[in-house]
Amino acid sequence: MGGIAGRIDLTKFTGLFKTYTELRAQENSITQIMFVKGNNVANVRSVTSGVSARAYKNGAWGFASSPALTPEAVSLVLQVATENALFLDAKEQKGKAPLPLQTISSVNDFSTKKPRLSQKELLDFVRQIDADIARRYPNLASRTVTLNCLDMEKTLVTSDGSHSHSLIPRSNLSVILSLEKDGQPVELAEVYGGLGQFEHVFDSPSSLDEAIDRQFEHLSKKSEGVYPKAGMHTCVLDANLAGILAHEAIGHTCEADLVRGGSVAGEWIGKQVASPLVTLVDFANTALGERCPVPVYVDDEGTPAQDVVIIEKGVLKSFLHDKESALYFGVAPTGNARAFQFSDEPLIRMRNTAILPGESQLEDMIASIEDGYYLMKPGNGQADLTSEFMFAVNLGYEIKNGKLGRAIKDTTISGIAFDMLKTVSMVSADMKWLNAGMCGKKQPIPVGMGGPAIKCQVKIGGR
Amino acid sequence: MTDPRKIAEHGVSALLKAGANKAHCRLVRTERHELNVASGEMSLWRTTFDDQVLLLAIKDNRKASVTLNKSDPEAISGAAEEVLAMTQGAQPDEANDIAESQPPASFSVGHGTPDWEAMHRRMREHLEDTSTRYPKVLLMQAILEFVRQDSYLVNSNGVDLSAKKGVYRFTSVFSAKENAKVSSFNGIQVSLRDLRLPLSEAGSVDRLYREISEQVHTRPVPDKFTGDVIIAPDTLGDVLNFLTFSIRDRALISGTSVYKNSLNQALASPLLNLYSRPVSDEIADGYFFTADGYPAKNSTIVDRGVLLTFLLSLYGSKKVGQERAVNDGEAYVVGAGETPLEEMVKSVERGIVLVRFSGGNPSDNGDLSGVAKNSYYIEGGQIRYPISETMLSCNVADVLRNIEAVSRERVNYGTKVFPWVKASGVTISGK
Repeated sequence: MGGIAGRIDLTKFTGLFKTYTELRAQENSITQIMFVKGNNVANVRSVTSGVSARAYKNGAWGFASSPALTPEAVSLVLQVATENALFLDAKEQKGKAPLPLQTISSVNDFSTKKPRLSQKELLDFVRQIDADIARRYPNLASRTVTLNCLDMEKTLVTSDGSHSHSLIPRSNLSVILSLEKDGQPVELAEVYGGLGQFEHVFDSPSSLDEAIDRQFEHLSKKSEGVYPKAGMHTCVLDANLAGILAHEAIGHTCEADLVRGGSVAGEWIGKQVASPLVTLVDFANTALGERCPVPVYVDDEGTPAQDVVIIEKGVLKSFLHDKESALYFGVAPTGNARAFQFSDEPLIRMRNTAILPGESQLEDMIASIEDGYYLMKPGNGQADLTSEFMFAVNLGYEIKNGKLGRAIKDTTISGIAFDMLKTVSMVSADMKWLNAGMCGKKQPIPVGMGGPAIKCQVKIGGR
Repeated sequence: MTDPRKIAEHGVSALLKAGANKAHCRLVRTERHELNVASGEMSLWRTTFDDQVLLLAIKDNRKASVTLNKSDPEAISGAAEEVLAMTQGAQPDEANDIAESQPPASFSVGHGTPDWEAMHRRMREHLEDTSTRYPKVLLMQAILEFVRQDSYLVNSNGVDLSAKKGVYRFTSVFSAKENAKVSSFNGIQVSLRDLRLPLSEAGSVDRLYREISEQVHTRPVPDKFTGDVIIAPDTLGDVLNFLTFSIRDRALISGTSVYKNSLNQALASPLLNLYSRPVSDEIADGYFFTADGYPAKNSTIVDRGVLLTFLLSLYGSKKVGQERAVNDGEAYVVGAGETPLEEMVKSVERGIVLVRFSGGNPSDNGDLSGVAKNSYYIEGGQIRYPISETMLSCNVADVLRNIEAVSRERVNYGTKVFPWVKASGVTISGK
């Protein structure tokens, strides 16, 4: 076995475990190439690797990490992590029970089997896309083309007896196009790509032509766009917005650590919190027979990753857990403990969170609205313990008498998610994944977000 | 090889040996000791060590860089070869450069090692103090960490800079709960040179805990209106980000900045004075040299509403033909005004105190909308009640022009020092 696992065999150190312990070696490799208006402003690679240990004693955790991948470093981090746990245990004396036992052995490597391209070839690819954009859309005021590739490789052994090795790559190409209208810039961003290394995800620069044409067409309409009317409206949220809603507004409130932090979801388990049309799942690795954007088979505590049905036909069913929260709530861990860097401790994180498809057609959903909006592209989003959410909307259209009208300027939608989901009256039969999600919660982590289009009542910011 | 300066020097030598015309190496050695509270309980003691080595080369005006966290000579030599290979495909650009020769300089601030016992004692005191004084408050996550960073920057023009910094950082994410009613969460991070004072006295911690205890019971503002906003120091940075982003490399090189022609022009109310002070005593957690390799200096960005400098890097300055900034920005300080906060509230006929803003990034033209969090409704010069489900829409460039008052009081977070700022003309809408 190559990579991290080939450089150090962590199983040789299990004899040094003094208490419940996780030992993980990890390497994150990042490539970024950026062209701003034809200027090659970034041509960078970053490789971060090392080893960490986390030990548990009576409810106290100790953690240590080192960038060295040597036997001495492994022994040292095991020693320091254990000492840290013992120090905190002696100070706090919480006397908590042992963590639930989880054992699995697993290997999941999504690296490409194709020959790897050199950095020069990657630069040429991005440069070609940039040049094509400049040639095909000469009235653009500006353009930014960025390639971001992230490979996360992990190997883990635990005192429970779990062993796992994974390499989960993601390759995304971001294209930002900007027009000037009345002296003011108007831009539209789109991200292409997803799970896999570059050679697996992208074919030729021209394979993106059609998608970038559509992006430019939307931008042209947006540059003539109008402010939406502020207030409550009947809207169709396209799949990408439904996905970010599933993640931000519902998923976070159902992370068990946030439930302990006071999330409203803690009061509503078993209750109707959404329209019966809504079923929402945090998928571990496979959804509806397809591999998810961020497949997780074993989490960073060595727990086999399970799908978590958060809402089933409108009823709140369950939360996302690591071992400690599972112990607290008296349930089984779900495999949601994930760490971003070798030097990060696992936290409760989502994997691939999605609303399941329904039976309606998008065109029927639009046709059913007399006066409202079709909201297509999300920007960033945030949510709260109260399930009050906010998402930026960077592309949308008016709906007038069942037909799409003028484009709208950038806006924001907000509301109380558990109230808003009760207004869902149609759910489309198709489903799309947003493949470039990066969630922030002490650490960043790649996530998948997906869904169908949904028709609902939502509050729009405007003028 | 463990001497960080020698590692950085080796990085430059390896790049030159691999064929670079110009070479730049920066090493940051970080030691972190972190005490974590989760769900109100001390949960984790975390100790991490890391090296970040940046190797940057320019060959025939083509630039590339690699960052790795290994500092042994073999790893650095291998990475140097990789950097030079990466330059081959890069776009030649005469603006690519490294800092010119300057006298060597060393800087130091703060403690070299953490006081573990004091960290535990202050955190325990904080948990007990909070539960006594603010029983509704839930500490979802609190972190007290000591971070020691030793930085070295060497380049082939003879630049030789080093800095040692030891700083405590306290982060708290919290909510409040009363029976089944829960508040929004809020959060704060404060940097401290030492642990002489209780953590509740850091930054605005105590005020935010008091306020969140009130925010269990909220309601939307009554309707939609155009009013005043008093922007609290806790969220003023979100507003200023639009300005500071718009005067940096990317916005100016792409030409999308609304301030691209605003140098030495008024872009804000004359009441606004904005500084970047990375090497001042009031900033506990600043920095000593720029990413390009120049000793950082304090600067005035906006003087009585007039933009005095862009925040351009060496590359950006050559690209757009303007002066390089004397620092990398951040460490922002907004000058105190003359209006007591109490008077500022009394002057508002209808509006809100904005304590946290949950919104998207502003558009390039400054249009912004989002949700007012942990905030309060003002009517008739009095704070009426904490709000929820209330949206704001505005243009940030207009807000900066519409500043009507800046408070005498300011809050020091260790990384920034901000007052309360009152601006008019914001669309505020309830449910």
